[in-house]
Formats: sequence, structure tokens, C-alpha cells
Amino acid sequence: MIARIRMLGLLAATLSLAACSPAPVESRGITLKGSDTMVILGQRWAEQYMNQNPGQVIQVTGGGSGTGIAALINGTTDICQSSRPMKPDEKLKLRDRYQSTGIEIPVAKDGLSVYLNEGNPVKELSIEQLKAIYTGKVTNWKQVGGKDATIILYGRENSSGTYGFFKDNVLDGQDFAASCQTLPGTAAVVNAVAKDANGIGYGGAAYTKGVRDCAVKKNAGAPAVMPGAATVKDGSYPLSRFLFFYLRRKPEGDTKKFVDWVLSPAGQQLAVQVGYFPLH
Amino acid sequence: MSAPARFAATLLVLAAFVPAPTPAHAEDAGADTAAVTHAELERILEGYTEQIQTMTSDLDKLKRVKFSGYLQARWETSENSSDSVKVAGNPYAVTSPNLGRFYIRRGRLKMTYDSSPLSQAVFYVDGGTDRTIRLLEAYVTLMDPWTALHRHQLTIGQQNVPFGYEIERSSSVRELPERSKAENVLFSGERDRGVKLVDQWTDRFQTTVALVNGGGINHVDFPNTDPTKAKDVLARARWSQGWFDAAASYYTGRNVTPLTGPDVATDKTRVGFDAQLFYALPRAGGGTLRGEWYGAHEVNPDSVKALVVAPTAANPVRLLAPGANPGHLATDAEGWYVMWVQNAGDRAQGVARYDRWDPNTDLAHDQFERWSLGVNYFWDGFTRITLSYDAIRTETKSGAQYVDPEDNLWTLQVQHKW
Repeated sequence: MIARIRMLGLLAATLSLAACSPAPVESRGITLKGSDTMVILGQRWAEQYMNQNPGQVIQVTGGGSGTGIAALINGTTDICQSSRPMKPDEKLKLRDRYQSTGIEIPVAKDGLSVYLNEGNPVKELSIEQLKAIYTGKVTNWKQVGGKDATIILYGRENSSGTYGFFKDNVLDGQDFAASCQTLPGTAAVVNAVAKDANGIGYGGAAYTKGVRDCAVKKNAGAPAVMPGAATVKDGSYPLSRFLFFYLRRKPEGDTKKFVDWVLSPAGQQLAVQVGYFPLH
Repeated sequence: MSAPARFAATLLVLAAFVPAPTPAHAEDAGADTAAVTHAELERILEGYTEQIQTMTSDLDKLKRVKFSGYLQARWETSENSSDSVKVAGNPYAVTSPNLGRFYIRRGRLKMTYDSSPLSQAVFYVDGGTDRTIRLLEAYVTLMDPWTALHRHQLTIGQQNVPFGYEIERSSSVRELPERSKAENVLFSGERDRGVKLVDQWTDRFQTTVALVNGGGINHVDFPNTDPTKAKDVLARARWSQGWFDAAASYYTGRNVTPLTGPDVATDKTRVGFDAQLFYALPRAGGGTLRGEWYGAHEVNPDSVKALVVAPTAANPVRLLAPGANPGHLATDAEGWYVMWVQNAGDRAQGVARYDRWDPNTDLAHDQFERWSLGVNYFWDGFTRITLSYDAIRTETKSGAQYVDPEDNLWTLQVQHKW
């Protein structure tokens, strides 16, 4: 009898805790968190969707793809915006908590631009040259066909998906040179390169304002390709990538309606207006 | 606020930091004031830029240090809870604690230092069950420089032994408060000192090999000695399909019983298989079916003790009894579990597990069986409340009959992970 009373006590305590716990994320509307590259895109999607669907509330915040994935795992966002695929260890963490590796939805394409100052005479760089520049093996513009001046490196913080994509696809996983100045967002990188005649940076193609895109070659013998709708779509631009939504499970209800709208012609057209590229 | 307005506001704020002209120069500074102020502002901005760059550099160094950990505060109540602890021996010693109690099961702090993409150091301590801070893990991992995702990693130090699914999962993510009995007996403490090589050959296939002292962190000889010259060897291969994972583990090594004469060395071999199936239900969410099997062939150290002539004050030697052959004591042990986990939305989770341990497959009445049922409620992204019930079945001889002692256990646990 005493054991039963104890058992009921335990159950009652647990249910009481459950009853007074904070409201789930979804009851506060839909939240998007993650990639700084995608934050403007997410905001535009949210604004237009809310205009078309009064009563719907969508909150968009940045912080970087890594931050968004962490938020997805600990349940503080409904949708993670990421400019890189989830890493295996991140998928395992998600599966440990939700018994699912999550749902990956490509929502747009992006060309990762290499920004140069308007006054820089260098027009094109190969992936190998970019790797040598960002790992610190090449330190003077003269070594890659430019003027005799020290190369000033600008990049992103390691929580950024753009940082991860550049590191994996350009640096082959090697570390950035210690002289690379990390900045908190793509706009800051663009701003720094615009003001620095010897600067070089990288980030989403949509942010190229006041700086010049550098044509990129897959290797020394390949043609130099500029980022653009056609070259990103056909894959000829070497630094093209997908942008993703990640969810804990298959979207339902309001979340599904929003995701469907993002993937619709209206949502994809908006991505183009912001400076990104459609999936198809 | 528009961009020009923001710029003007910024100038005003910065101007507040610029030293005001002295009264002696105030009258004749006149038209030059704007130009001087502009030049000074530029210098101030450059100064701030340098300061920010220095701070950013310092911050980058600090960000390489990461602290994580978790705390498990628990209330347990068992059928055999009582108003006194049991004592035995002279002097008296506690042999079985009262199980109606609050206690801290685990209080762990982990520091990771990512010095570069090619190496990492981890220092991990526990201040939970023991009354002292205990070193759980301390190791250095070297990552290969020739693959972008560093698919080959070498770890040296005190670390988890790479055997089975339960060991590789942190206690902070496990759905029930404790691992299976078979794992608890065969790999008590889960950790040992040695070197481990992990190779991720493809996205789906991973192998691990390790050399360890043997015995593990709960062994009486730990941490200062390793009585066996040869090291224990482990190997594990894992296939991960995403919705279905399977792995096999192997362990071979030796146990040593120290004696006054030649020590007794006996072989030990352990084999394990584990598999996990993941699925998702439309509204409830993810679920898992898991199973794991452990097999062991070794001499139980307690059995060896029975063959040893106990030392006395008059005759302090410690020798094997005449004619005794400890090799004949090797027995087969077997343990396994099956487990079901089902999420109910993002915040609730139900768990059921049946686990079984047979320390000697040739003997009857020595088996351990347990049904474990649990509910997890995720308070927020960091805190989890667990309620579980363990129905334990063992056999104890009472007169001519075997009876199941009353030792079923309720556990209410609150875990916070950061």
C-alpha cells in the first residue's frame, strides 16, 4: 500500500511539473534561427508570408548555422536555417534527443563569392590560389598577379556555415591563417573589403555591394567563372552551394504551410529578388 | 533611424570622447575646428579599430576553450529501503546503503580545448557519487591533416573503451538512468587508459581499434599499475545507414591475480553485437528499437581467489592451492537487452527495456533480469525530468527454495545539461 502511495506521489509530482512547464516553441509562432547568410532571405520570406497570411507570426534570427543547429537540437527553434549541410556528429546529437536525424530541405541555391576591393587589379583566382592565400602560404598580391602589397584576409567566425563551407571546399579542412580577421557577419566582411584596397573576403553572392566579385577557377587550367544565376544553376561556378532548412521532424500544420510556400514559385522568386538562386 | 541620422548620431557620440579645445584657443580656432575634429575622429576610430582587433584576437583564443557538463540530482526509493543501513564485519562497514534517499548520481564538468583543427584536449571530472572529485577522462586527440573532415583520429589518454552502443552514449542522453547489468559488470566504469584509432572510411562505415591497460578505472589496481605486460586489445566496426545502425565489438586481454609465487594470469575474451532501428510516426515523432548482446569467456577473479591459500600472520605467503588449475574456472557469461523508445512530440518520451545477465551460463539460479519502464519530460532545451521503475528479478536461496528479493526501484531524476 505504501509503495502504491509513493508511486502515485511520483506520478503526481511529474505531472505537476509537466503542467506548469514553459509553453512549447510552436505556440509562440514559427521561429527560424541560424545562418547569417540566410538571415535577410529568411526575413523577406517571413515578411511576405505574414503579409499574405494575417495572424501568422514568424520570427527570424541569425547567429550562424552552427548556432541554429544547436538551437534545433535543444528545442529553441522550429526551423534551422543553414548554409551548410549538418555534420555527422550534429546529426547524432539530434538523433540522441529526438530519435531522428532530422529533415533536410534545400530551399535555395547560393554562390559563395570571393570579394575583392574595387581597385584591386586581380580579376580571377583558382581554388588552389585561394587555398594558398587563406592558409597563409601566399601573402602578397604580387604572387597571384596583383600589385606588390600584403594581402589582408577577412573571414567569418567558426559558428558560421559560410566559414565551414569555405574551409571544407577551399581549404580542404586546413585551418585559416592566423592573420585572417574574423568578422561577425557577411555585411561586415563586405564593408571591410570595400574600405581596404588590399583586402579579400568571402560570403554570399547577394551581399556583393561596393566590392567586386572575383572569378574563380576550379584549377589552374580551368576557365574562370563569375558567380551568377546561370553558372550557379548549372554548377560551373566552383563555389555554389545549397541553402537549407532543417527541422526535427516532418513539418506539419503552420510550419508545413510556410515551408511549402518557401518552395513555391512565389517563395523562390523572392529568393531571386534578394540575390539568391532558385532551386530549379 | 535612417543611415545619415545614424552616422550623425555616431559622430556625436564619438565627439563626446574628443578632448574639448582649451579656452585660450577657443576664439582663434574658428574655422579650423571642423578639420581638426575630423582628423582627430579618424585617429580615434583607428585606435578603436586596433583595440577591437586585439579584443577579437583575445576572444578567439578564449572561444577555443569550451565548458560543458551535466548534473543529475535524484531521489530513489526501493522496496528494501529501511530505517537503518546494514553493517557487517569487525570493524563494522556499510554493505548496502538505504535506497530511500536523495543523492547526486552524476555531477560532471568537461573542458575541451580546440587548440587547432588538428588537435584537441579533453579534461573531464565527476563530483557526483563519490565524495571527491574524480578524473573520468583526460586525453589528447590528433586529427589527420589529409582529409577535409578529419576522418582518421588518434586519441591517447584516459577515455571510453570502444565496446558496444551503451558505452559510446553519454549518460546525459541515455533515456533510462542506468545502463544494462551486463555492461555494468563487464565494463565497470566504462573507461581505461590507452590509445585509440578511429577511422571513418566512408560516411557510413567506421572502425575503431584500441590498446588499453585493461581492468578499467574501477579496478583496484587503477590508476597506478598495470599488472599485465601485454595490453588488452579492442576492435569495433560500425555501419550506420541513418535509419538502421549495426555494429560488432571484440575485446581480448588478460586478468592477473597477484600471488607470492608466480602470478595467475588468465585470458579474457568479450564479444558484442548491437543494432538500432529508427523510425518516425506522423504526429508522435521519432522512435527507436534497440538491441545489444554481450558474450564473455573468462575466469571470474572471485573464483580464482577460492583457489588461493589465504595468507596468515604466521605464514604470509599467498600461493595457489596445490593442484589447482585456474584455467578450468573459465566460464561463459552472457547478457543482452532490448529497448524501445518513443517520443511523444518534442517534450515527452516513453521508454521500456528488458535486460538480462547470466554470469555463468552453466549454472542455474544466478541470472539477473530487469524490466525498466520510464518517462522523460523535457522541461526546456537543457533540463530533463525522468521517472523510472525497475522491476528486478534475481534468485536468493531461502531454505530449500529460491525467492526473488524485494528490491524493485523507483527513480525520480532531474538532469540539467549545459
